[in-house]
Amino acid sequence: MSSPPDRFGPYDEHTQPQVPIEHYANTVLRNPRRAPFVRPVTRSELTGPLDLASKLHPGDINLAVLDGKPAQGQLIHVGGRILDEDGRGVANTLVEMWQANAAGRYFNPLDQRDAPLDPNFIGNGRCMTDEHGRYGFFTIKPGAYPVPNSNRWWRPPHIHFSLLGPASLSRLVTQMYFPGDPLNAHDLLLLSIADREAQHRMVSQQVPTQQIEGEWLGFTHDMVVRGRHATPPLH
Amino acid sequence: MTLPNAPLVPTGWQTIGPFFPRTFFQEADNDLTRLALDAAPTTRGETVILFGQVLQEGGGACVNAVLEAWQADAGGRFRHPADPEASLADPAFMGWGRAWTDAEGRYAFRTILPGGYRDATGTRAPHINLGLLASGVMRRLVTTVFFPDFAAANGADPVLGVLPAALRPKLVAVPEGQRDNCRAFRFDLLLRGEADEETPFFLD
Ligand SMILES: [Fe+2]
Repeated sequence: MSSPPDRFGPYDEHTQPQVPIEHYANTVLRNPRRAPFVRPVTRSELTGPLDLASKLHPGDINLAVLDGKPAQGQLIHVGGRILDEDGRGVANTLVEMWQANAAGRYFNPLDQRDAPLDPNFIGNGRCMTDEHGRYGFFTIKPGAYPVPNSNRWWRPPHIHFSLLGPASLSRLVTQMYFPGDPLNAHDLLLLSIADREAQHRMVSQQVPTQQIEGEWLGFTHDMVVRGRHATPPLH
Repeated sequence: MTLPNAPLVPTGWQTIGPFFPRTFFQEADNDLTRLALDAAPTTRGETVILFGQVLQEGGGACVNAVLEAWQADAGGRFRHPADPEASLADPAFMGWGRAWTDAEGRYAFRTILPGGYRDATGTRAPHINLGLLASGVMRRLVTTVFFPDFAAANGADPVLGVLPAALRPKLVAVPEGQRDNCRAFRFDLLLRGEADEETPFFLD
C-alpha cells in the first residue's frame, strides 16, 4: 500500500456547501455563528484509523437482494474510485452508503412519510476500497422524496456516502446524484455549492448499456478526498 | 479549464441528513479501548468515560448527531505511518470510535486517557479530536477535548493556543465523578449560540 497523503490545504470555499440553506432549519440551528479557528495541522490530524474493518465490518455490497428476494425498483450498480488530490487511488478507505428505496422512503423509524416500505430493501452498504481505490455496490435506483415543511422542495434521487480514509483530514461525507434528473437543478443541497463544476462532479455518469452484460444499469462515480503527497507519484 | 497535472478538487461535502442508518451503530463503536466488539480491551493506560450533551441554537437537544473520536494511545502514539513511533503504539487500542446522540442529545465514549506527543508544531497536550455530523451540518464540525489533569501542557498546546484565552476553558473536559468504576469527564457542545457560550470549532 502506498503511503497516505501528508499535505492538507484548506478547502476552496466555492467548491463546498455554504450555510444557511433556505427551508432547512437545521442548517441555522446547528452551524456555528463564529468562524472556525485556524489551527496548525499536527500528528493527530494527519493520522487516522487504518483498521476500521474490525469495527465497521465492510462486505455489504449487494443491497438489491435481501434473504434471496429482490428489492423493488431498477437494479443498478454504482462504482468508481476514491482518489486523493494527486489523482491516486486511495486504498483501504471504508465506504459507507445509505439511500431511500424506490418509493423514496428510508428504512429508518424517523422517516414517517406515507410511502411504502419495501420488505426486501434496507438500503445500507459498506465496503473497503481495493488497492486501486475502487469501490462498488449493487442496489436499486432510489426514489425522489419531498422535504417536509419546505414549500415543495423535493430531493432528487441520491445516495449518501461516508468515506473514512487514511487521515482524519481526508474524511468525507457527501451525496451522489443521478445524471439527467430534472430535480437536480432545483436541489437546495446541490445548489448550496457555488461552483457549477463542483456541482457537476457530484452527479454520477451512466455507463453505456452496451458495456454491461447483466440486467442492470451502471453508474460510475469517483470521489476525491483531501490530501496530497510531498513526494510526487512514481508513474 | 483544468490544466494537465493540476490537482483534483476535493468532492463537495453534504450533510448526513436525518436518516443516517441506526443499524450502522454497534455496541462497541463508542468504545475506543477495543479493536472489535469481541476483542479484549487494551491494558495500557487509564480507562475513562467521556460523555456530554450536544445542544443546538436555543438550547434544544441535537438528536441523531454522530460524533467521531480520534486520539493517541496512552503513550501518545498512533498506529499510522505518519507517526515515527508507530511500531511502539499499543496494538490493542483502536484510537477511533463513533458515538451517537439520544433524544436528549447525550453521547458517551469509553476510552483511554491519551498521552501527549511532540511533533514539528510543538508539544501537544493529551487530547481527543472530535468530529460532529448531523442533519443540517453540511461540513463536519471539528473540535478538540483537553483534560484538566494536564494544566501545564494545555497552556503550551499549539492548537488550544490559537483560541482567545477566555475560550480555552471551553475545550477542557470537566471531571464528573465515576462511571463504570472509571473517572468520568463531561464535555458538552453548543453548536450555535452567543459568543461566550458557543463551542469553539476549528477549520477542518
Ligand atoms: Fe437522503
